[in-house]
Parts: sequence; C-alpha cells; structure tokens
Amino acid sequence: MNARLWLSFVLRRLGASAAVVLILSFGIFGLLYIAPGSIVLTLLGTRPASPQTIAAVRAEYHLNQPFFIQYLHWLDNAVHGNLGTSIQSGGRVLPSIAARFPLTLEVVLYGSIIAVGAGIPLGIWAALRRGRGTDQVITAGAVAAVGAPSFAVGLLLLLVFAVDLNWFPVYGTGQGFFSTMWHLTLPALALGLASMGLIVRFTRAAMARELSQDYIVFAQARGLSRMQVTSYALRNSLVPVLTASGLILTSTLSATVMVETTFALPGLGTLLVNSVTFKDVPVVQAVALLLTLLITVINLLVDVTYALADPRILFTRHGE
Amino acid sequence: MSVAEVSVLRSSEARQARWPAPLVVISLVIVALGFTAAIFSSIIVPNAEQENLLLGISQPSWHHVLGTDELGRDVLAMLIAGARTSVLGPLVIAVGSMVIGNIVGLISGYFGGWVDSLAMRWVDMMFSLPALLVAIVVTGIAGSSYAVALIVLIVLFSPGDARVVRGAVLDQRHRPYIEAARLSNLSSKRIMTLHLWPNIAPIALANGFLDFAFALVSLASLSFLGLGVGPGSPDWGRTLSNNMGLLQSNAWAAAAPGVAIILMAAAMNVLGDWVYERLEARGLEQ
Amino acid sequence: MTLLQVRDLAVKLRERTLVSGIDLDLVSGESLALVGESGSGKSITARAVLGILPPGLQASGKITIDDVVVDGKPELASPLRGSVAAMLMQDPFTMLNPLRRIGPQLADSLPRGARKGEASRRDIAARLKEVGLDPAVARKFPFQLSGGMRQRAALAASLMRNPKLFIADEPTTALDVTTQREVLRLIGRLKQERGMGFLLITHDLRVAFSVCDAVVVFYAGRIVEAGSAEKIRASSEHPYTQALLAAEPPVTGRAHVLHALEGSVPRHDDVLNECAFAGRCRWASDACRSGSPELREIRPGHLSACLLAGDLSSRHFDFPQTGPGEAIERSVSEPILRIEELSKTYHGTSAPSVSAVSLEVGQGEAVGVVGSSGSGKTTLARCVVGLETPSKGKITLADSDVTSWMRLDRARRRELRRVVQMVFQDPYSSLNPARTIGATLREVLGAMGQPSDAKHVNELLELVQLPTSYAARRPVTLSGGERQRVAIARALAGRPALLVCDEPVSALDVSVQAQILGLLNRLREELDMSLLFIAHDLAVVRQVCDYVYVMRSGEVVESGPTAAILTAPHHDYTKALIASVPRDDRSWLDS
Repeated sequence: MNARLWLSFVLRRLGASAAVVLILSFGIFGLLYIAPGSIVLTLLGTRPASPQTIAAVRAEYHLNQPFFIQYLHWLDNAVHGNLGTSIQSGGRVLPSIAARFPLTLEVVLYGSIIAVGAGIPLGIWAALRRGRGTDQVITAGAVAAVGAPSFAVGLLLLLVFAVDLNWFPVYGTGQGFFSTMWHLTLPALALGLASMGLIVRFTRAAMARELSQDYIVFAQARGLSRMQVTSYALRNSLVPVLTASGLILTSTLSATVMVETTFALPGLGTLLVNSVTFKDVPVVQAVALLLTLLITVINLLVDVTYALADPRILFTRHGE
Repeated sequence: MSVAEVSVLRSSEARQARWPAPLVVISLVIVALGFTAAIFSSIIVPNAEQENLLLGISQPSWHHVLGTDELGRDVLAMLIAGARTSVLGPLVIAVGSMVIGNIVGLISGYFGGWVDSLAMRWVDMMFSLPALLVAIVVTGIAGSSYAVALIVLIVLFSPGDARVVRGAVLDQRHRPYIEAARLSNLSSKRIMTLHLWPNIAPIALANGFLDFAFALVSLASLSFLGLGVGPGSPDWGRTLSNNMGLLQSNAWAAAAPGVAIILMAAAMNVLGDWVYERLEARGLEQ
Repeated sequence: MTLLQVRDLAVKLRERTLVSGIDLDLVSGESLALVGESGSGKSITARAVLGILPPGLQASGKITIDDVVVDGKPELASPLRGSVAAMLMQDPFTMLNPLRRIGPQLADSLPRGARKGEASRRDIAARLKEVGLDPAVARKFPFQLSGGMRQRAALAASLMRNPKLFIADEPTTALDVTTQREVLRLIGRLKQERGMGFLLITHDLRVAFSVCDAVVVFYAGRIVEAGSAEKIRASSEHPYTQALLAAEPPVTGRAHVLHALEGSVPRHDDVLNECAFAGRCRWASDACRSGSPELREIRPGHLSACLLAGDLSSRHFDFPQTGPGEAIERSVSEPILRIEELSKTYHGTSAPSVSAVSLEVGQGEAVGVVGSSGSGKTTLARCVVGLETPSKGKITLADSDVTSWMRLDRARRRELRRVVQMVFQDPYSSLNPARTIGATLREVLGAMGQPSDAKHVNELLELVQLPTSYAARRPVTLSGGERQRVAIARALAGRPALLVCDEPVSALDVSVQAQILGLLNRLREELDMSLLFIAHDLAVVRQVCDYVYVMRSGEVVESGPTAAILTAPHHDYTKALIASVPRDDRSWLDS
C-alpha cells in the first residue's frame, strides 16, 4: 500500500500516544498531592518526623519549588531510570519492580492466550450456530463469565480444583518452566475467564453481523463454497475482534491485580496494592507509569494491526 | 473491567442473543431480591452484624441457613446487610455515569465541531486507562472512602456512556426528521431532548444496565482489596476477602458473597439486553 | 430445452405466507421479467429458486433447474450455484466483499487449483474487459470504484463459471439513470453472446418490455398476469398491469391527469379469499371479492387472473393524455428565490460539489433541477434552506439575503423559516418514529406561530388528503406514500411561499409516485406556492415543472422551459439523460 499514507498514519498515532503518556504522567505525578494530610508526612512514612528528616525530604523531593518544576524533576529522573526510593522499604524502586515484572508478565500472557485461544473459536462457533442450542449455551456462559469478577472466580477455582480436588497447588509459583506453568494455571484461568467471556460475545457479534451482510449472500449466489463464505466472514470480522482484543489486554492488566492478591503471587499487582495501602507514593507512581506505557504501546500496536487488516482506515482522518 | 469494553460490547450489537423468557424472569427476580435486600436490610436483618463469639464458625444448619463466620455472624444475614453498599453503590455510579455521559454525548454528537473533538479526545484518553487500576490508585492514596470510590468510578465510566450516546446521536442526526425539526424553528435543546433522545433511549438505557454490572464488579473488587468501604462493613467484596481463610471450615462464608456478585452482575446484563430489545422493537419497522 | 421450471412455489415466514401459487417456465436463450412493486414477492421468488432465502423463510413447491430437482432446498441448489445458475443482486455498494480486491474476488469463483498464476490472471483480465472494465481494476478495492463499475465487477464475478441461467435482481435500481441504460445494454449483450437464460427482476414495466421476451406481473405475492412482452404491451388483460402502465409519467409530455392508484399493496394473507387487487380496482365487483380468481389462459401464451380479462379493451384506462398546456416561454416577474453564482466545496475535498450555479424561481412557478447523483443538485437545495452554507455566491429569498442562515438574527431567521420549507427523499426516516403524527404536526404548527389545536392539525391532514384519524397514529403504521404526505403536511404548516422538494418521489413505488405528484400539483395551485423540485427522473420533472435546470458535476449545463428542453435539447448530457428514460420497446436499448 501507499508508503506515504502509512508513514503519516504511524506518525499521527505516535504523536497522539506520546501526548497521552505525557498527560497521564502529569496526573500520576499529581497523585502525591491527593494524599490526605501533609505531603512531607506522607513521604516520611514511618520514619520519625524531626527537623532534619523533614529538611532531607524537602530537599530530596524539591518540595520548595513550584509544582511544575517538581514534575519536571520527577519526569527527568524517570526517563533516566531513577524511579525513586520506596518509603516503605527504603530500597530503590526500579530493582523491586524489575524483580516482580516477569511473574506478572507470565500470568498476563498465559491468561490472555487462554482467553483468546478459547474465546475466538467459541465465538465463531456460536455465530455459525446462531439462534440454536449451542449458541444459547455459549452466550449464556459468556455473559456469566463477563459479570464474574476475577477474584470471585479465582476463589471458586481454588476451592474446587486446589482444595477439594487437589489437582493444582494452592499457593506458590514453582521453579522451572513446567512447574511454573502448573502453578500459574489457576490464576491464569481466573484472569482469562472474564476476558474470554468478552471475547466470545464480541467475536460472535462481529461474525454474526458479517454473516448477515449482502456480500455474503452474493458470494453464496455465485457459488462460492461454504468454506470460502465462512472465511470471507471470518476475515472481515477480524477487524473488530482485533480492536476488542487490544482493549481486553488492557483490562487483563487490571484484573491481574485482583488475581495476584487472591493467589498471593509476588507480582506487580500485589506490589501496587501494598504500596497503595501503605501510601508508598513513589512505588505507586512508578508502577502506574510502567502500566501506562505498556497500555499505550499495546493500543498503538492494535491500531497498526487494525490498519493492516482494513485498508480503508488509512484514508480516514481519525481511524474511527 | 475497563470502560472501553463497556462501549465496545454495546456498540457491537452483542444483543443479537435473544434471551428466553425464563432467563429474563429469573434475572428480574434476582435483581428484585438484590434491591429489596439493599433498601430494606435494616428492617429485615437489623442484627446482622451482631457477633456471637461463643458460636464461632459453623456449617449450615436450620438455624443458620448458610452457616456462620468466625465471629459467629450469620452468613445469610451478612449477605443481605451487605447488599446495601454492594447494590446501591453501583446504582449511584450507573446513574451518575449515565447522566454525565448522556449529556456529553448528546451535546458532542449534535453540535460537532470543536466541542466534539475535545470531548472525544477526553473519551479516547480515558479509554486507554484501565478503570479498576485508576480506581485502586486514587481511592487508596486519597484516603480510602466510599464516596471517593463512587466519584472516581463515575468519572471513569462516563466516557463509555458518552461514546455510546454520541455514536447513536451521529446515527440519527442526519436523518430527515431531525433536519426537518431544525428547519421548523425548534430550539436545539428541544430537538436534543424531545426528538433525539427518545430515539436513542434504548441504547442509552441498556448501556446503563451494563454500567451497573461493571460498577458492581469494580466496587466489589475495591472492597475486596480493602479500599472503599470501611473494615467492618458487610459489603460483599469485603466479606469475600475476610472469609477467604475460611474455605476449609465453612466454604459458604466466602462462596455466598462471591455467588451473589456473579448472579447480580449477570442478571443485570441479561436485563439490559432485554430492555434494549423491548424498547427498540417499539420504534422499529418490521 | 427447459432451463427453469417452477410449479406452485410458496414461501412462508412462520405462519405468514409471502408468495403462493407461483409457476414459471424459462427456456434456454429466453428472457423472462418478474415485474412488481416493492413487497410483491418477486425478489423472494428469485431467491427461493436458488435456495438463498433469508433465515426464517421456508420455500415449498417443485423447482427444477436444468433438469435437476432443487425444490428450493439449499442443499440441493448449492451445487448448481455459480456453475448452472447465478444471481446478481441489487445494491452494488454492498454486494462485493469490501475488504478484498476485485481480482481475488473474481478468482474465488474458479476451482481450487486455478485461482492463482498467470493463466488465471489472464482469464480475469479477459472477463473484466468483457464487462467493459479496465484489467487494472483487478488490483482495486470496491470502495475505490464507482457504483456503475462495481456493478460491472459484480456482473463479471457472477458469470465466472459460465452459468446457463442468469438472474438479475433489480440490477440498475441503485445506479444513475445514464449508467442504468449502459448496464442493461451490457447485460443484454452478454445474454446474447453467451446464450444464457435470463430472469430479470424489476419494478419498471417499460424496462421489462424492452429487455425481455416474456413478462410475469406480481401483485401481493401472486401472479396476476403472464405472457409475452409483446402481447401484454399491446393489450394488457389485468387492471393492475394497466394501472402500472398508466402511472408511469411520460417523458414525452405532461399528463393532464396522472392516474394514481389510491391505497397501497396489501399483504398476501390479508386478501386470501378475494382478488388481491379488488380493493383498488375501479371495476371490482362482488364476484371479484368472493374468491381468488385463477390464473387462466385468455389467449395462447397470455394468462391473466382477472375475471374481466378479455373484456377489458372496452374499459381501458386512459393512458395519460399529453398535449398543450405547457408553457413555452418563461414569464417571471419577481423571483421568490434567486441564486447567483453559488459554489460549494466541502472540507477535505478538492473538487467543488456546486460550481457557479445561478437559478431563479418565480412567484407560483415550479422549477425543476435535474441531474444524477454527484451533480450537486441536493447540495444546492440544502444551501437554499440553510442545511449547508455556500462557499461562494449569493442566495436571495423574498428580498432577504439568506446566503448564510446562521448569520441572520434570530427573529429574521424565524420569519424566513415560514417562507421556505423542505420535503426530503426518504419517507421512512422523515418522521420522528417516537411521536404520533398529531404530536409532530402540533409541534410544528406551534413553532410556525400558528395555533396548534386539533382543528388546525385536521386541516393540515385534509390538505394532503389523509383521514383525520391518522393524527393518533405513529409513523411505523403508515405506508411510504402516507408518510410522505405527512412530511408534506408538516412542511406546509407555516404556509411557505416556496417548497423545496429533494427527490420526494424517488423512494416510492410508481403507483404511489403518481399520487404524490398529483398532490404537489394541486397544492401548488391551491396555495399559490412556488416549487423547487429536485429529481433525477426527467419524466417526473416534466409532470410538475414549468422550467428546468439540468446539472452535471456541479454545473448547470442547460436550462429552459421544460417542454422546450425535453423536445429539443441542446447539450449532449441532456440528450443522454433523455435517451436513458426507459421506453417500452427494444429500440430503446439499441442505438
């Protein structure tokens, strides 16, 4: 396709993404200011509040300077990899995040693979059997899954498969690939179930809509085989399904927090919850920044893949 | 669950599933029970939170249909008492989100231009945020209070409603009957409220039901983590978190609130679809 | 050699019968037209033949295609689709897969092994040329082609496997008037060259006569007349067919009276035990209402389901008599509307939609603006009422400058809204579905400064010849023609001096069209109102307008009194437009 169109499209998207990240980073920085009580006390945490410690905190966080300058300091540090010091532990933030990141990533990926790998085929199946028994069962299941909060599902899974049936371990993360996979199966399932429900409903709707279009009837009327017709509908529903998948990846990140808490996994999620409860602002800011970046990158990739799948997007202004 | 999915689900015509009547009736019953419990809990179970330390944990029995928790409180009574925050909270969120979202969506869709661009920038940005995470972070740091949680969620959910409503408005805006209304000297306000809105009401209202379902889950998630409601509250999410350790002794103590959450959310989902179908069918041609 | 034989086909939707008793015969090389208005069952019949009915519809009856029994069952019909019988559908804008290039879409019809490679590329290029398209089109996506080109591509796609039976469902309805003729000629040529049996579905009897050998007329899901095109044209033996012919506005002159059929097409099940047409037939008798007449042979090869068949010659409809009565010269003293050098370019497009157009409408005059889609006529109309703002030029309405409605002060704008009003094309979305007719009219009366009581609402309804009981009804219970009348009533609430009509009858069936045109003419006289009438159909314009402007690609190419322009056009484009109006014999397509 037209290289110039592509270039302008990607640049526009990159620009928009960068703008969003910047705006959000501003909000993330501002979190410090919504904590009740004095900022200095919050930043001191459990340390005693003596004139020396207060002065030290003021200096470290540039609290004597205007808000915007503080923000710039913070941003500058962040870009250079200095994500501050944890109020709770006293250690540097970046290493503790780095240590927990792999586990979270594993669970999220595992859960997403389950959601997409099971969700899309189920959705397609439901659409092909529209209105009949199979469809009703699948859709009902999807609705229940969508409404089920991941922590409730996680608990249920724990109860049934770990406590009662003893198929999976109740806690722990395991060593080595296979052991880890086994340990993470229940959390991944809990994570993936709600997303799967959404993907099923969404894929089904997209497929069903394509199947009712005129071009499908015309394809049948001129003698294309059943397989060809289904593949027409499938390929054309890819586009909305892709968008949905991108958004679902985003929500999976949210749900990860809940699932990690339920299964007591030492990942980024539990780190976030702990620091929020403790008001360990630097850690919260760091994790929030990381997640924002991640989500923005995912959205960008989804947009690009969308444009690859539907060339008409390149011609429209907003790609809506 | 993020705002994005709410709108994505709605706009995708996922409504093609037509629920069989029995399922709709069951959903209505569940929702009715939930709301009754929420509104009348202080009358039905005035002593729900009374502890009975002598009794402690017990399995279901005639006296305590779902057993008791470690403080001797009747699990069923706690469930009913918890309905107040667990059901009314999402209602407030859904209504708040709908009000803001509908107004923004109507104005943005009808007038277009820079108002629309600005509004859509805001919506797009909110969409890229995972609502729950933002709620966790803000509620947690700003001092965990129920009111803060409600406000944060209303702010996070309204872009979803705005987008859905705007989409529906754009659909109708260029239709001749709206253009004729403009040509008939009618004021913009009149056109938006009396001509446009009645025709987008089905999708706006159905979206409200979805909002409720997602709000329910989000609030429960927050209270599960210890944010939002206070520590002693019988809120379903809270209770679930408190009773997680009781899985071996009285699984019902943890299962009951979990099941309540799932059932209520699913029921609202089904009802939302049903409401849409009924309202839409009234206005549409054969 | 019999290509298609249908006996006693019926199609039901749950308990409702949509069509019944359909018998068809088609021989190889022959062409048959299924003619009827919307809802008559002709499209459903064609889809039943191929076994591609929409979900929920059931077909019954005996159907054989090329001696293979299919009986409307999808499993039996599917092996024949494409290779023995193929269908071209109505809307070129939705018929092709939007996300697939033309070449691969055509190739999809070829057998597995033959889809890729040099040989298939040459084959596809050849087929594209056959339908008049450049082989480079193969690399394009449907959205990059015009409507006419898409229709040709779809035509090539349906003929890929060289079917013996070709069905075309209203192949030209969604196209420009000039493109219509070309596409019909193309289909005619292909039919000839390939020796195919051809089934054409159309609502236009004249098209049927000029393209096909035999004609079958549908009404309310039944066949009311069948026979060779020549016989039916010479002497039709069913009042409905005659009414259809009589309702077609002639492009050759203005009819003194356009015979309109009152009422609308009933549903199949509502007229089970009587002649389906009895409710609207001027010669209906008790015998007609006591049982459904059989389709019987009146003459060899000519069947009719009318009890009076054979006897109708003495009761013929007066086909529209045309003659003097049209103005030859224009006498406009004070124009109610004057447009000077109007241009409009939309944001983001380079070519202007309207380019330096000047136009006048006199007091009490009816002026037509004719052109195909993209000619800018609708944009022009919308600028006049203020739904669009011109980029350049001036519009004067009753001595006020309304070039930019938004810049007028409120009071002035309110006043001027009473001077000009608009009637839109689509009756199905012209009325607020959530409100009753009465509520809509009351509201607009109030907004126009008129009393909004029941008396005035009834007056408006009577003005457009609708019963006053309609005030309590909602739009969804009204037919297209009735809705359009309500839309007209709404526009008249303020007794405007100028009524702008944007293709007001294009979406209506021919018999209803005549009703609305008659109504507009009458209203014009009664209320001494001016009319700015936008249309693509010259024949329609001739019935209503004294003066006409012909537009193409945003410019006025010719203008003058209607009679003068249509009898002796100067510009090539006008000539092409006139030539595109269907006549009822073969010669129309050859030239």
